Parts: sequence; C-alpha cells; structure tokens
Amino acid sequence: MELTPDSNIVFTIGGFGINKTAFNTWLIMALLTVTSMLVTRNLRPDVPPNRWRTALEVIVKGIEGQIAEITRRPDRRLLHFSGTLFLFIVTSNLLLVVPGFDPPTASLSTTAALALSVLVAVPLFGIASRGLGGYLHSYLEPSAIMLPFNIVSEASRGISLAIRLYGNIMSGAVIAAILLGVAPFFFPVVMDMLGLLTGVIQAYIFAILATVYISSATATPTDRTEAKGKDQT
Amino acid sequence: MSIDWITVAAQIVNFLVLVWLLRRFLYRPILDGIDAREKEIADRMAEAAGIAAAARAAEADHLAEIAALRADRAGTLEEARRSAEAERDALLDEAQNRLSKEETEREARRAEEAHAYSAELRRAGANALLSLTRKALWDLADETLEQRIAAHAVTQLGAVAKDLHSAAGDSRQAVALSRDPLPDDVRASLGAALADIDPGVTVRFVTDPSLAPGLTLRMGGAQVAWTVDSYLDGLESLLEHHARRTVTRGLTDAA
Repeated sequence: MELTPDSNIVFTIGGFGINKTAFNTWLIMALLTVTSMLVTRNLRPDVPPNRWRTALEVIVKGIEGQIAEITRRPDRRLLHFSGTLFLFIVTSNLLLVVPGFDPPTASLSTTAALALSVLVAVPLFGIASRGLGGYLHSYLEPSAIMLPFNIVSEASRGISLAIRLYGNIMSGAVIAAILLGVAPFFFPVVMDMLGLLTGVIQAYIFAILATVYISSATATPTDRTEAKGKDQT
Repeated sequence: MSIDWITVAAQIVNFLVLVWLLRRFLYRPILDGIDAREKEIADRMAEAAGIAAAARAAEADHLAEIAALRADRAGTLEEARRSAEAERDALLDEAQNRLSKEETEREARRAEEAHAYSAELRRAGANALLSLTRKALWDLADETLEQRIAAHAVTQLGAVAKDLHSAAGDSRQAVALSRDPLPDDVRASLGAALADIDPGVTVRFVTDPSLAPGLTLRMGGAQVAWTVDSYLDGLESLLEHHARRTVTRGLTDAA
C-alpha cells in the first residue's frame, strides 16, 4: 500500500517521469480553468447571469467575504492567492470520491508545496503592505527577545499547515482503502462521505489559516489597534 | 512518508500557474462583471432616486397648487357672488329704467291724448256752443253772432275809449280782427263808433280763420277783444270738472 502518489509515474517526457501527483494536479488545474473559461465567456453586464455564473459568483463573493471578515481590508491579491488555495484544495479533496483518483493533497509534497507557498507569500504580502523595514520590524515585536520565537513560529506555521492537510487527506484515503478491503460494500461509502466533509473543512481551514497569516503580516499597528478595539466592543 | 522535492517544486509552479489562470479566467471576469452590475444597479438606483425626488417635488408642487386653489376657492366664490349681484342690480336697474321710460312715454302719450282729446272736446264744444248761440240768436232775434258781438263792442267802446285813446298814442289807424268777414253794416257802425272816439282814425278790417269767433280791436299798442275764448275756457273747465267727478266716483265705486 502506497501512502503517497509521488512514486507512481504516469508517463515520461524526455526521460523525466511525471508522477501521479503532478498529473492529477494538472487535471484539477484544467478542470478549474476550463470551467471558469466556459462560464465566464461572453460575460457582459447587460446579459443576466445564468446559474453557472451565479454559482461561481457565489463562490468568489463568499471567499471575498471570508477574507474581508479576517483582514477588514479588501485585497484582490489576497483573494487570488487564498481563493486559489481553497478552490484547488477543495476540488482535489472532493475528487477523492472518483475511483482511481488520488487527490494531490494526499501527497505530502503537494501540501508542503502549498505550505511553502504560504510561507513565501506571507513575507511578500507583508513587505508589499508595510515595506521591508516594517515587515522585519514585526519580528521584533513586542520586543527583540521575541525574535527567535517569531522565527520559529513562522516556520512551525508552514509545517503545521502541510502536516495537517496531508494527514487528514492521506488518512482519509488510507482508511477508505483499508475499509474497502475489510467491508467493501458499506464502510467505504460512509468513509468517502466523511472524507468529502473532511476535505471541504480542511480546504477551508488551510485557506483561512493562510489568510490569517498573511493578514497578520500585512496588518499595521493601527489596524491591530482598531481590530482590538472592535473585538473589545 | 517522504517529500519529493522535485514534486514540491513542480507543485509550487503548478500552484502559481493556477493562481494566474484563475485570476485570468475566474476572478477578474467574475469580479469585473459583479462590479459592472453593481455600478449599473447603483446608477439605476441613483436614477430612480432622482426620479423619486422629482416625483416628490412634483407631488409637493401639485399639493401646493391644490392648497392654493382651495384657498382661492372662497375668494373666487365671493367674487362670483359679487359679480352676480352686480349683474342682477344692473339688470334690475335696466328694467326699472325701461319701466320708468315706458311709464314716462305712456304718461306723455296719455297727456298728449288727453290734450288732443281736450282740444277736440273744446273745438267740438266751441262749435256746438257757437252753433247753438248763432241758432238761438238767429231764431230769437234775427241776428248773427258777429253782428251781436260787434254791436256789443260798439256799445262798450265808450267805456274803454279813454284808455284806448291814451294807449293809441299818435297812431291814426285801428285794426279790426275777426275770424269771418264782418258784414258791411257792422263795419260801418264800428267805424262810426271809432270816429266818435277819435275823429281822425281809420279802420282796417282783417280776417284770420285761426282766431276765435268775435272781434279784436287794435289801436297802437292797445288791444281790446270781445271773443268767445273766455266762454270756451269756462266750457272746458266745466267739462274737466265733470270728467274729474266721473272718474272719482268710478274709483270710489271700485273701492
């Protein structure tokens, strides 16, 4: 039994093996992109939105609303990043029910890549928002003694993100595979349904945590004061 | 559990490509469409708000106009009432004037008719009186009225001779006026009587059909008349008195 699809080579291009993780990722990318293209083509303001476009608008506006609740400052770049994280992870996790499809999020390499992306995105968003000095100064807050703790905290965030997502998705797939061998007619269905729920929740948690990390990196002291005041009220 | 770093790098690239693809084909079209629709809705809301404001303004103007019309209605009614009263008074005045004018015309016509009737009555009475007098004189005394008047005048000249002579002054001619030509004997007796009063005077006899029966004698600035006018006036007074008594009795009977 394989715990990761990384070792499963689907095809080879120029002597370079394309494993199942990358291949399934491409499938998900193609699915999301083609669906978006089909829905948003011929999109004009004077044409009433159909149900597909309405569904995408609900999803996009829902993501934007969640981000706005966290950051209190609407940012389209954060929507692009966190929204893509959520859509990719949730699509990957929902495709868990397709027989023979190994979700890329069940690969530690994928979750590590996503966690690394978040780890890189956090300082990039922070520097873009507060400047390099302002962002680096945040590691010295509330005092310079906290510098090593802040660095460890940043690293542990990425590790926890990667391990949490990988563990949940991989465990669900593994448990479903085990139960398929033990009781092939009933438990796999229940576990897949549970896997769908877990997958959506994990995608939400991953995207929300990434948004929170980026938001905390981009928040200015004034934003923190305002947020604290609002929380107290 | 292991990490394939090549796969990690590939997944990072895949993720970044996916971010770009979704930004290009999902987020931007969807959000731009939403923004455009929200802008269109906001424009329509602003337009609707403008229309609503215009409608409210028109409603306020309409209500103000209605209030003004209601406030002016009492004034208009009062003005109409005054106009109607003025027109009624004018019509009444016009009717009264017309009645008064008609009454005046009727009075004038009645007076004219009365005058004409009186004149006719007088003329008829005078004719009847003269006829009766002539007939009586002729039947009883074989004299005409003119002869009798002239004879009477001759007898009366003596009484007025002094006044007549003083009023005549230096005039040496007398004029005898009568309605009908006087007989020759009457002319002769009249001439003789005047000659007794003033020996140098001459008499000229003139007839005028418009005169009353009788004789009028002019001498210088003096004039002496013996006509039936006074008798006719008495006859007229008598007739009027009789007519008035008849009318008064009729009104008393009617009451």
